[in-house]
Amino acid sequence: MKSRLSDWVQERFHLSGLVEFAAKKKVPYFRGSFWYYFGGVSLFLFIVQVVTGILLLMYYQPGAKTAFESVHFIISKVQFGWLIRSIHSWSANLMVLSVFIHMFSVYFTKAFRRPRELTWYSGFVLFGLVLAFGFSGYLLPWNTLSYFATKVGTEITAVVPVVGEPIMQLLRAGNDVTTSTLTRFFGLHVAIFPAIFTVILSLHLLLIQVQGISEPESWSEYPEHKKKFIPFFPNFVLKDLLLWLIVLNVLAILAVFYPWELGQKADPFAPAPAGIKPEWYFLFMYQSLKYIPAKLWLFDGEVVGVLLFGVAGLLWFLVPMWDEKTPKGLRNKLINYAGILAVIFIIAMTILGVK
Amino acid sequence: MMTGQETEPSRRSFLDRLLKLSVFAWALSIVYPIFAYFKIPPEAESTPTNIAAAKINELQANQGKVFRFGNQPAILVKTPDGQWKAFSAVCTHLQCTVQYRNDLQKIWCACHNGIYDLNGANVAGPPPRPLQEFKVTTKGDDVFVSKA
Amino acid sequence: MIQKLLVVISLVFAAFAFAEEKNTCMSCHTETGSPEAIAFKSDIHFQNGLSCSDCHGGDPSAEDMEAAMNPAKGFIGKPKPADIPVICGTCHGDMQKDFETGVHGAALKNNSEGPQCVSCHGIHNILRVKDPHSPVSALNITKTCATCHSNAAYIKQFNPGLPVDEYEKYLTSVHGKRNALGDTKAATCVSCHSNHLIYKVKDPRSPVSPMKIPGTCATCHSNKKYMAQYKIPTNQYDDYAQSVHGVALLKNSDESAPACNSCHGNHGAAPPGAESVASVCGQCHQANAELYDKSVHRTVFRENSLPDCVVCHSNHLVKHPEDTMIGFHPDSLCGSCHSDVATDRAAPVIKAMRTTLQGLTRGQTEAEELLNQAEQLGMDVAEAKYTLKDVNQSLIETRVKVHSFAKEPVQESAAPGLKVIAEAREAGHAAVKEYYFRRKGLGVSTLLLTCLVVLLYLKIRQIEKKQQ
Repeated sequence: MKSRLSDWVQERFHLSGLVEFAAKKKVPYFRGSFWYYFGGVSLFLFIVQVVTGILLLMYYQPGAKTAFESVHFIISKVQFGWLIRSIHSWSANLMVLSVFIHMFSVYFTKAFRRPRELTWYSGFVLFGLVLAFGFSGYLLPWNTLSYFATKVGTEITAVVPVVGEPIMQLLRAGNDVTTSTLTRFFGLHVAIFPAIFTVILSLHLLLIQVQGISEPESWSEYPEHKKKFIPFFPNFVLKDLLLWLIVLNVLAILAVFYPWELGQKADPFAPAPAGIKPEWYFLFMYQSLKYIPAKLWLFDGEVVGVLLFGVAGLLWFLVPMWDEKTPKGLRNKLINYAGILAVIFIIAMTILGVK
Repeated sequence: MMTGQETEPSRRSFLDRLLKLSVFAWALSIVYPIFAYFKIPPEAESTPTNIAAAKINELQANQGKVFRFGNQPAILVKTPDGQWKAFSAVCTHLQCTVQYRNDLQKIWCACHNGIYDLNGANVAGPPPRPLQEFKVTTKGDDVFVSKA
Repeated sequence: MIQKLLVVISLVFAAFAFAEEKNTCMSCHTETGSPEAIAFKSDIHFQNGLSCSDCHGGDPSAEDMEAAMNPAKGFIGKPKPADIPVICGTCHGDMQKDFETGVHGAALKNNSEGPQCVSCHGIHNILRVKDPHSPVSALNITKTCATCHSNAAYIKQFNPGLPVDEYEKYLTSVHGKRNALGDTKAATCVSCHSNHLIYKVKDPRSPVSPMKIPGTCATCHSNKKYMAQYKIPTNQYDDYAQSVHGVALLKNSDESAPACNSCHGNHGAAPPGAESVASVCGQCHQANAELYDKSVHRTVFRENSLPDCVVCHSNHLVKHPEDTMIGFHPDSLCGSCHSDVATDRAAPVIKAMRTTLQGLTRGQTEAEELLNQAEQLGMDVAEAKYTLKDVNQSLIETRVKVHSFAKEPVQESAAPGLKVIAEAREAGHAAVKEYYFRRKGLGVSTLLLTCLVVLLYLKIRQIEKKQQ
């Protein structure tokens, strides 16, 4: 029966070439190859987000008057609503963590080197989108934390000279965070970002499939017979699937034992709660901005901070361009040090921000 | 060799069967909550802060109606001169639920005889403060009450 | 000889003339038969050596009328009403100050028809206060006050809203009756309102302002020695201060709480008769009074001349009523009359009321505990907690319905409360069940998932082996 089905498909879709190509794909197998899984985990978590997000869409009502109440309705009245919502929130955080790890593991293994620059660029855009997803989704329950975090977060965009203020007004749909901001963020979160994300993700995955998995740098000196591989189909895929199942169970355990809080409905007239801060993945930026003195020569400390981050981000984005050594097969110690510095900085600032 | 080849296929197919069963069971445990999620909960929707308290011709002039507003009772009154007024129905004295008295043309609390006029002001009896007033708008057939 | 006699006589005459201070005012005006001068002879001021000129000015030594009544010598003639307190105040300075601070002083400032010192004390015939003929003596003062305060046309000039029936009421009171019998100890107008420094009743400084009244009444009524001859208790203020009414008024400054005058009347002060008690309490506690009026207790109490509400709630020491007042146990009130549980007709009613109230209070506590427990587990029971607040209303209404002393009204008003309790309990149980369901569900799905993971792992191993 299996062959009858495949014949039917082949007659209509002419996929035999693709299947042959896929069957030959292999994944490098070495000490550090388990880092390869984080790309797949990120993808899995994105799928979880899409599924749980669509389910939440069935009951969520955007708008300052109804958002909070509808989320409360979901977690208290809808069957398994509590589960879907908590999984969505936990999975969002795990996804951000996963893409951070994925990005840094790609960086340290220099997988961005020729011919995989486009994969890196599209990946960085995806990373930015994931943070944007996190930021926009965070506002949707319209509770105290999300309202003030959005206020602070959008306030910082205004710091950028010239374009900052218009960008902030565009984001906020006005000068303040209002119900219009909420509906705008909602539209971004469920329609615009997913559409862009899907297109770029498809590009990212297509490039990976077409180009194959990047080999570690050390293998450039190895003879062919010394390199160990495992087939992509079915070995790597099944192992990936195994990990995905475990991650799914972890999400369920987190949802049951550490349900995501709803808190109080946002009250724009109440003062901001003491110690308000953004979600953990923005903390390192938020915290480091605090350390910059209010005025540096003629410039506002905050402006300098934001611009510095902008420059750092740009450099990171363009690493395939300024890394000249790796394509030549040389060890680029600068890249490694820069990367280690970045990791330490981010972790340290995050810890300081949490305190 | 023969024995190995004989047992291997059965072991493989046993594992395969078990795997298929397990996948099926697991898929069920995923699909069931999703289906249950779509079932309409007993309360058909979340209680918003703006509800249709009554139909336009439900109340005559000089009549009142107590209804649920969020998690508190509220009172809708059509005044003797045909105006719609709505207030929180929680008495400011000891939180009993007030009602409309068409003989007094005032809002009255049965617990200790507190009386409020049709502006919500506490005019007689123990209530120390007026009733919180809500906004009333009519749209089509319905009378909507929302927080002012 | 005659010359010597004349000298002696004129010397004696002169001696007399010098011995007595020359008071031409008196001598002239008595000669002309002026009533003021004649009256002034018995005036306390004259008897203490003061003369006309001490108030009217002028020169009492001048023989000549124009010289005596000379404005240059300070003669002012008939003083203007507004000046009278100042004139009296030259000696009676304290009283002048008091008078001017109070309402009478303010009235005089605005209107020359207003009260002056002389309005109450008399003009040229002022006697000691304690003198029984003085218009301001204890037995005469009330009539003096009434001269103005029972005159509607007069009082209207100053305060159109001020009642003018105080004296009438006073005469019906115990104080008024005793005063009429000559008892100087009984309270008069000035005992409560003060004599010179009279504040408006609403002024918090007034001894008859709402929060000061109990203290004012207690000045006499808590004084054992003072009240000894009247043979009435003197613990009313102490009792009242501990009661809900007293605490509300005196500690919590709630001016709507009753003071002594709310139940006893202020000018017509008298303890309400046994038959009036329910009407008095019913002024505020209307619902209870209405129910009580229709109940069996009223008929029975009236037949036995028992003072209605006071029987259970006391008159001065009114404590916050407890549900434990109902029942047969030693602390209860019902048991003091309805002692025989077996045969008493009231027994089933008492039992029903007790169990209904307990059902509400215990049910409320239990439901609250259950919901708190569910909340601790992390479940959302906010809505159930809100609806549970309705039980308070049911409790208030049921406790009022107790005054019907019948089963049905009590059970009827408790029904909605009991329903809410049942619903809250259900919600609480459901929440706790859901909590355990979630953990069990997680266990089951984890089990399934572990099976799947293990099998998948075996399958991978199998595939890998095959590939070698």
